[in-house]
Amino acid sequence: MLTRDRVRLIARRLVQVAPVIVLATFIVFGLQQLVPGDIAVTLAGDNASDARIAEIRKLYGLDRPFLVQYGSWLWGALHGDLGRSILSGEVVIDSIARRFPTSLLIVGCALTLSLAIGIPLGILAATRPGSRVDALVTSIASLGVALPNFWLAMLLVATFALNWNFFPATGAAPLSAGLGKALLHAALPSIALAAGGIAEVARQLRSSLVEVLSSQYVRTLHAKGLSPAAILWKHGLKNVSVNLLTVIGLIFNRLLGATVVIEAVFAIPGIGSMVVHAAIHKDFPVIQGVVLALVLIVISLNLLIDVLYTVLDPRVSQK
Amino acid sequence: MANTRFHRRDFLVSAAGLALTGPALAQGAPRKGGTLKVSANANPSSLDPTTGGSGSDHSFLYPIFDTLVDFEPATLQPLPGLAESWSNPDPKTLVLNIRPGITFHDGTPLDATAVKFNLDRARSDQRSNIKGDLATVESVEVAGPQQVAIKLKQPDSALLLILSDRAGMMSSPKAVQDLGKDYDRKPVGCGAMKFVSWNDNEKVVYARNENYWRSGQPLLDGLEMNIIPEINTALRAVVAGQNDFVYFLSPQQKPLVERAKNLVSVSGSTLYCVVVFLNFSKAPLDDVRVRRALNYAIDRESFAKATMAGLSEVATTVLPKAHWAYDPALADFYKYDPDKAKALLAEAGHKDGLDLHLIGYTDQRQQQRQEVLQEQLRKVGVRLRFSTFNIPEGSAAFFAKAEGNGLVSQWTGRPDPSLTFSLLYGKGSYFNAGRQEASPEITASLAESRASPDLADRKNAFARLQRQVLEQALSVPLLFQFELDAHNAKVKGFTPNLLGKPRFNGVWLDG
Repeated sequence: MLTRDRVRLIARRLVQVAPVIVLATFIVFGLQQLVPGDIAVTLAGDNASDARIAEIRKLYGLDRPFLVQYGSWLWGALHGDLGRSILSGEVVIDSIARRFPTSLLIVGCALTLSLAIGIPLGILAATRPGSRVDALVTSIASLGVALPNFWLAMLLVATFALNWNFFPATGAAPLSAGLGKALLHAALPSIALAAGGIAEVARQLRSSLVEVLSSQYVRTLHAKGLSPAAILWKHGLKNVSVNLLTVIGLIFNRLLGATVVIEAVFAIPGIGSMVVHAAIHKDFPVIQGVVLALVLIVISLNLLIDVLYTVLDPRVSQK
Repeated sequence: MANTRFHRRDFLVSAAGLALTGPALAQGAPRKGGTLKVSANANPSSLDPTTGGSGSDHSFLYPIFDTLVDFEPATLQPLPGLAESWSNPDPKTLVLNIRPGITFHDGTPLDATAVKFNLDRARSDQRSNIKGDLATVESVEVAGPQQVAIKLKQPDSALLLILSDRAGMMSSPKAVQDLGKDYDRKPVGCGAMKFVSWNDNEKVVYARNENYWRSGQPLLDGLEMNIIPEINTALRAVVAGQNDFVYFLSPQQKPLVERAKNLVSVSGSTLYCVVVFLNFSKAPLDDVRVRRALNYAIDRESFAKATMAGLSEVATTVLPKAHWAYDPALADFYKYDPDKAKALLAEAGHKDGLDLHLIGYTDQRQQQRQEVLQEQLRKVGVRLRFSTFNIPEGSAAFFAKAEGNGLVSQWTGRPDPSLTFSLLYGKGSYFNAGRQEASPEITASLAESRASPDLADRKNAFARLQRQVLEQALSVPLLFQFELDAHNAKVKGFTPNLLGKPRFNGVWLDG
């Protein structure tokens, strides 16, 4: 599987990782400086005095120049030390390690649902363009894109958790508590998140598949006497798979972002709620740590997708 | 005072359509066992009472830490706590007699040396956030195995109730010394519950302290504070039965609580005062006539009705009716009088109206308050322009950078009213945005309110001080927000307190 081309692709990407991480964390750090607000005031507590606030700034090194603060964070990060939350003192790597799996489970389930439902819907619509089925799928997809996921989430909670008690209304269970329990907690948030993903997959798949199926060579295949099913599976889907892969990458990134809202609705201790809390109080070691982790995840996924492109479409690696 | 315990404040307990006059009536015999699960509203800033800073920490700290001085929930008067008694041999000395036989969760005994260690640490540790609370303490001396003498720089009777707050929460000296900075996250006290674990923004877990000094307590096997900042989600967790108790609900959630089957709502007045802070050092609010006009121009009753759904008490000063230092004579000091407000404004040279720039917060409830204020003040010719921020930024803009003429916000109260008044109106205080002295009389009265240890003397001093603050119209208090909590029918024995920071001592789970 690891041809020379692929190894070269991976190596090239790994070289790009370092500058991307530095750039992303630097920009986020810079943005935090622009946003008004002062963590020293939060830390000084209810009986703040000007002197105490100044003392805290000094104590936490918040009075140092911007570049020095960023530099010392980066130096620590390079040595595997992401520091501690300024607000609560928790070790940032520990919180990330605890919270990332929770968010990833939800995003993973949502992505699986998006594909498991979106792909059949897309195929159904594409093979019967203009039919009633097609119209139905298109309207479901429009609805899925239009529905705000937090609203859908509250609707799901009201129905399936509060009225019928099928699912827990809030919280999450780690995988260590058992797969069943973890999935039960992840079900409602994943469904709420997946609505948009299902719609996106179905729409994209439909349009690209319609295009492929109406192309010249498919007509040739028909003339050759291949069955419609064989054409669809062997030629149609293979040709749209590159497109689909791109969509998966985009959806994954968006789902990861959408957890910010969903985690608030379900009180899920994941990465989204962590970064919101940190951003409000300007707890920069936490924000930087999360950004770093997110950048790593997104870059690895993109790399994986790029490698898969070369598997699905040999032309890619020759370019 | 003890017999007036439940009459001093307006409790409201309604269970499944039953209206009861006090929580004590609704409960059978206390039962041991079970873990109370609470929806808590914010991650603690620290579990070390000395280094933490947020007012929402207390509900997390009370189970672990008992205080030297306890307080009467309904009036906030001092009661014996870890100190079984105290005396003032002279005005500048406070002697505490520490209850014998108490040990911290790690087995360290609670003696005079431990108390001295805690108070000295609070006064001098670089990371201590409560140095200001103990600013009048000159030295702490061990006077006997269980006796501590606190020497003061000047008489300070506020100290007693200050010792019912963070400064009075006793940590194991051994744990503090062994753990250093890590003590923030591994607290060891001598309260009813031992600390077990804390995952940021997720939960804090506690287990029963088998050696607790109050006999028969705690009734619970454990306590779990599940951190859910979104209040609607927090309530949902209780409706769905995942948690048992939720506090700090908004008045707008009251109908939701009532509609939920099997949920009990608890509400009562608190020190939590919705107030317009004024920068009285800066024109045009450096003119007392303008500040008085603002106080006359607001119809507090209709403000309360519009913004709080009935769950509030109208405010004239920053102390609610039930508080021991409240003076009923001041209740109508600023009766709604738009004509008087207009006259005062004209007298101050603002005949054609006045433009004020206020700072506010962005959330929906706050915006509603801002709109009602805008509308009420428009009627007397005061045009309000708001700049809105999230809470920390808005507060910093007004208090630290002295932006704007006023801030629509809230004062969460302090265990001793001397603290409240000196923080709000004292010269150079952070919460006095202009940092200037309000008046020499107020400075003198602030000192006087801390001079006598006698509660009756202090009451008189506070009556005088409050009158002076009202005459100077240093702020515009609007209303006291009721605490609104909800719990399922299993939860028994919960008593709200005037501080508005729930304590779960005495709570048990039925069935």
